[in-house]
Amino acid sequence: MQRDLSSNFYFIFKWVIIISFVFYAVFPFLWLVLASLKTNAELLDDPFKLPAVFQFQNYSNAIREAGLGKLIINSLVISTSATFLNILFSSMCAFAIARHTFWGKNVLFLMITAGILVPLNALIIPYFAIINFLNLYDTRLGLILVYCAVGLPVSTFILTEFFKSIPKEIEEASFLDGCNFAARYFRIMLPLALPGLATAGTFQFILCWNEFIYAMLLTSSTDIRTIQFGISYFTNQFFSDYVGMFAAVVISILPSITVFVLFQERVINGLTAGSVKG
Amino acid sequence: MQIKKDEVVWLLLFIAPAIILFFLFFIIPILFLFVTSFTNWDGISAEFVGLENYTKLFNKKSFVRAITNNLYWCLTAALITVPLALIIALLLAHRSRGWKVFRTVLFIPQVVSSAAIAMLWAAMFNAEYGLVNFLLDYIGFSDYKNHNWLGNVRTANAALIGFSLCYVGYFMVIMLAKTAGISEDYYDAANIDGASQFQKDLHITAPLIKSTFFLCIILAVIFNLRQFEYVYLMTAGGPANKTQVLVVYIWNELSVQRLGRGNAAGVIMIAIGAILLLSLRKLLKSETYN
Repeated sequence: MQRDLSSNFYFIFKWVIIISFVFYAVFPFLWLVLASLKTNAELLDDPFKLPAVFQFQNYSNAIREAGLGKLIINSLVISTSATFLNILFSSMCAFAIARHTFWGKNVLFLMITAGILVPLNALIIPYFAIINFLNLYDTRLGLILVYCAVGLPVSTFILTEFFKSIPKEIEEASFLDGCNFAARYFRIMLPLALPGLATAGTFQFILCWNEFIYAMLLTSSTDIRTIQFGISYFTNQFFSDYVGMFAAVVISILPSITVFVLFQERVINGLTAGSVKG
Repeated sequence: MQIKKDEVVWLLLFIAPAIILFFLFFIIPILFLFVTSFTNWDGISAEFVGLENYTKLFNKKSFVRAITNNLYWCLTAALITVPLALIIALLLAHRSRGWKVFRTVLFIPQVVSSAAIAMLWAAMFNAEYGLVNFLLDYIGFSDYKNHNWLGNVRTANAALIGFSLCYVGYFMVIMLAKTAGISEDYYDAANIDGASQFQKDLHITAPLIKSTFFLCIILAVIFNLRQFEYVYLMTAGGPANKTQVLVVYIWNELSVQRLGRGNAAGVIMIAIGAILLLSLRKLLKSETYN
């Protein structure tokens, strides 16, 4: 009898907590989507009332007037290139570290992965100076380099762990067959490591797509502005067109939510590989 | 695999890009930060000024306020967000009904950019059309009908920190992954002894995921030390510097070309991070072995 009571209590407690946090995490987004389909006048009314007419032109207005299309293309180009370079460089380094013994290997690995713990935003002024020194201020390449470097510790960590988990025999067989260093990496290890590359790559892409402070720090012209920095201008640009701003925010978050829902196992694996073991 | 002599060149080629990037964007910036923090560098010229930047910073009320606010964020995350995440992870453990759906849904705020989240919650807190005031009015707190949460000296910090609880899903997912690795044998044994769910959570699951719980606290502290977007986009440090945090402070120094002073603030930020990490490690390590 007593146990029934306590398990009932457990049941109620469990669902109250879970449902209230689901509400907390998701409800604002639903409100945002609904509000982005209203007129500015309707916004001041009851927030749960559906709009008289769904204002889809808020979206076309946001895309046209604010040049959202260009912002999205910039973000895509920068995020994809930075992810590609990041995965290439960190997998090369991870391959060298995970599959070989050489002097200073452990120090190198420790040093790079310790980078995860550095509060990088403290370095905005040095980053600004270095990018200016390299003559890369206000260029896509400058942002790509910074994003590539910022994600390096996490990617190298995830990929080193992954390469270590691949059986040694496969590589040794190819070694005896006369494959050299680069061939072993490109022909044998990379195909085997595809799941690991996808995990680290998804993680890195979301990081690049969502990045804000370096985009604001290192670019100034509208031609190469990324979407996250771009939407922060909307408050001024639209004056009091709140619904236009909401539509723009919805557009900016769709890609990362899509990537997450499609590759959620990868993202969560990356997260737990990169943190549970560390 | 042992490296053959003729493959040393390949090896160097493979680690070179990562090492170059690491030097360029980790080692050099940190050294640069440290050195220029003792100068009055303004982007054009720099003179050595000793500890002047540091003494000036610590005499600035808004800078001290930024440090305490950052610590306040870290403390909230460590004492409220992460323990709440632990509770949710325990509730969703053992593959209870719908755990995957809840995991996905609770994780969504983590994959959305902080800039978008900041704009979304600034709208939620808006005095005229925000949902927060509407809901408060709806449940009977009509005093708050036109309350400007982020613009009011008394409520700005509470509003900022209250919304940060939506990040509970991130830590929950990490701890949930750890519970999945616990052997079912323990629970079978407890079932034979007639243990309740709460007893099983308290005596089996909780001790086994202790190290992951501590790891989450460390992660939460790092994230809250380096956070920028929420404060910058929602309050810009205002009203009256009440919500100032370190990175926004550095940003403001950068925009008035006081680069040496800004870098001194950066050195202090890295030092605070190191002190917090080392003391947490020490504290949590002794806990784990007891």
